[in-house]
Amino acid sequence: MSAPLVSVRDLAVHFARPHFSPLKPRETVRAVDGVSFDVAKGTTLGIVGESGSGKTTVARGLLRLVPVTSGRIVLGGTDITALGGEEMRQMRRHMQYIFQDPYSSLNPRVRAGTIVRSPLDVLGIGTPAEREARVAELFAAVGLRPESQHLFPHQFSGGQRQRINIARALAPAPDLLVCDEPVSALDVAIRAQILNLLQQLKRRLGITYLFISHDMAVVKHVADEVAVMYLGQIVERAPRTAFFARPLHPYSVALMSAVPTVRGGRERAARRIRLTGDPPSPIDPPPGCRFAARCPVAEPACRQTMPELREMASGQWVRCHRVEVVGGTIRRPLD
Amino acid sequence: MDGAPTTLLDISGLSVEFSGGGRTARVLNDVALTVAANETLGIVGESGCGKSMTALAILRLVPSPPGRITGGRIVFGGEDLLQAPEQRLRDVRGHRIGMIFQEPMTSLNPVLTIGDQLSETLIKHLKLDARAARARSIELLKAVGIPAPERRVDEYPHQLSGGMRQRVMIAMAIGCEPQLLIADEPTTALDVTVQAQIFELLRELRARSGMGLILITHDMGVIAEMTDRVAVMYGGRVVEEAPTADILSAPAHPYTRGLIACVPDLDAEEDSGADLLEIAGMVPSVWDLPKGCPFADRCAEAMPRCVAEMPPTSVLSAGHRVACWLQEGTGP
Ligand SMILES: Nc1ncnc2c1ncn2[C@@H]1O[C@H](COP(=O)(O)OP(=O)(O)OP(=O)(O)O)[C@@H](O)[C@H]1O
Ligand SMILES: Nc1ncnc2c1ncn2[C@@H]1O[C@H](COP(=O)(O)OP(=O)(O)OP(=O)(O)O)[C@@H](O)[C@H]1O
Ligand code: SF4
Ligand code: SF4
Ligand SMILES: [Mg+2]
Ligand SMILES: [Mg+2]
Repeated sequence: MSAPLVSVRDLAVHFARPHFSPLKPRETVRAVDGVSFDVAKGTTLGIVGESGSGKTTVARGLLRLVPVTSGRIVLGGTDITALGGEEMRQMRRHMQYIFQDPYSSLNPRVRAGTIVRSPLDVLGIGTPAEREARVAELFAAVGLRPESQHLFPHQFSGGQRQRINIARALAPAPDLLVCDEPVSALDVAIRAQILNLLQQLKRRLGITYLFISHDMAVVKHVADEVAVMYLGQIVERAPRTAFFARPLHPYSVALMSAVPTVRGGRERAARRIRLTGDPPSPIDPPPGCRFAARCPVAEPACRQTMPELREMASGQWVRCHRVEVVGGTIRRPLD
Repeated sequence: MDGAPTTLLDISGLSVEFSGGGRTARVLNDVALTVAANETLGIVGESGCGKSMTALAILRLVPSPPGRITGGRIVFGGEDLLQAPEQRLRDVRGHRIGMIFQEPMTSLNPVLTIGDQLSETLIKHLKLDARAARARSIELLKAVGIPAPERRVDEYPHQLSGGMRQRVMIAMAIGCEPQLLIADEPTTALDVTVQAQIFELLRELRARSGMGLILITHDMGVIAEMTDRVAVMYGGRVVEEAPTADILSAPAHPYTRGLIACVPDLDAEEDSGADLLEIAGMVPSVWDLPKGCPFADRCAEAMPRCVAEMPPTSVLSAGHRVACWLQEGTGP
């Protein structure tokens, strides 16, 4: 594998909660709590996990859109963790993002062409004529009609609005595109169009993606590598094929088994691993394994010490005390 | 299913229009559906196809004006709800037909406790006194898997997680042991592990009480897992209806085939990352429905006839009907 384009080490993003009572200590939301990963150039790292597990905060931390509590972020060999002002601004052209909601992420009073051109204006890229040519090229690249540059966001459908978002993100020719639930708000048919577009851009332009989704099937379709988050931590990280053939962490197994599928139907539901309760809160989480309260195979020891993220086979990392290698094969607690 | 199922709900010719600015939107067109006791009917289709409107029409809750039910019959328990006096409908709603609305936050009152909201229906329909209603509310919260129900009963909606709110909605909908439960996208906003819990609960309830269930969703996986029969809606019409197994193994309408093929498959041995099948374009506007097949402008198999004339409904096999010119005269 070539040198990673993105390298994140021990990233932590904590938020202080407002004081409710002067008698109680201030609470901390450990939204992201020690996350490490690399993304090789031209590949896609998919991040899955339930609501509140910290996926968006990882993205915002990586892009330096929220204050990073600790850790290190390296993009293309440059440590950007502490980069300030103008230097960080210049780095932004290399890392762009698409957020979940294609409706609220576009200014309703600005024409589509101007929206797509805005990063070029802000970052001072190209001459006015070059910017115009670039916008035309981008509209074609994402499958929008050239004349639609003059329309306002409300004159587009949801799928077309997401295309505008994608075109805007591509404008400064970034190396990294962070996509946070880019298709979740779209109808199934439109979803396929946008997923196909993102895949084509990867093949054509060699873009590197951090792709966040709560949809396992979507991640299986787009990702080269998968990371599963639970309460601010990565509990499993593995190449796509290995992960989907045999997830190792009890949470990954449960999460995958919870997805209803066309072929699986009722049998799948009957074989499902049932998790009780909702994911607990990331406010002052208990010591030990964060999944212990819902884990069907938890042992008393799990509640005492936090499992480390361990490499069980080449590239397959898992944070669980009970996954072990016996006689050269990986044994899962849920087998 | 064994034996002849008793039909609970029999909808035929249901049409709903909205008007505004001198124009008319044909939101539902000649919809026909049936649900038997102990049966789950799935309704699937893209946004705006009329799924929620069908549910609202069953309870005569179509906002009117600007909406209007312009025709059809909705026979429930031998009675046409469209002809029944409003007084009668009030007894049906929330009592004999339970409904879980699409947006849980908008259907729970933020200033009333969970217990007050649950009790209200119980007092109204089952004529329980306040104490009995409270006890029953706690029982219901327990039945839907809410931990510490004695405490939760006095909490307000904002104090609950999304999953718990949805369970409260279910508790409200089943409080009076309805014969029919309509669940409009009951898990769309929830995590899959919580969705699995909600589905488990709905399956249990159905098995225990023999109620009929209408489950509205846009997820074919949910259809496969939860339903006995499925109606695919498009442009305010039911374009295909069949036993779930038949529709998944042999979808006859090009739109149904598209809906199944356009999503990535988690069960595939290996996902090659090859392009997904796309359904080009988007759903037609209800203000401007074509006179022929509503799917014609997106259909790869469309013929000149499709644009000119509405396709007739063909019966392919027992309980499998489809409205598509390709299938005309192919029935048994
Ligand atoms: N600015 C903030 N202040 C305080 N807490 C926050 C802030 N941003 C996020 N959080 C909390 O951090 C946790 C992780 O949130 P995050 O949005 O990253 O989750 P997510 O995995 O993206 O969830 P979803 O799937 O719902 O988008 C949540 O508990 C959230 O409430
Ligand atoms: N008050 C209204 N005035 C005019 N049209 C309306 C009104 N309410 C709904 N509609 C239209 O009725 C059609 C059917 O809406 P409905 O809510 O039944 O869709 P749906 O299939 O439930 O979609 P979704 O998956 O988004 O929930 C839509 O095209 C919608 O725009
Ligand atoms: S460490 Fe223990 S509680 Fe945590 S996932 Fe593994 S078995 Fe379950
Ligand atoms: S009637 Fe024609 S346009 Fe409509 S679905 Fe069938 S083939 Fe396609
Ligand atoms: Mg998020
Ligand atoms: Mg709806």
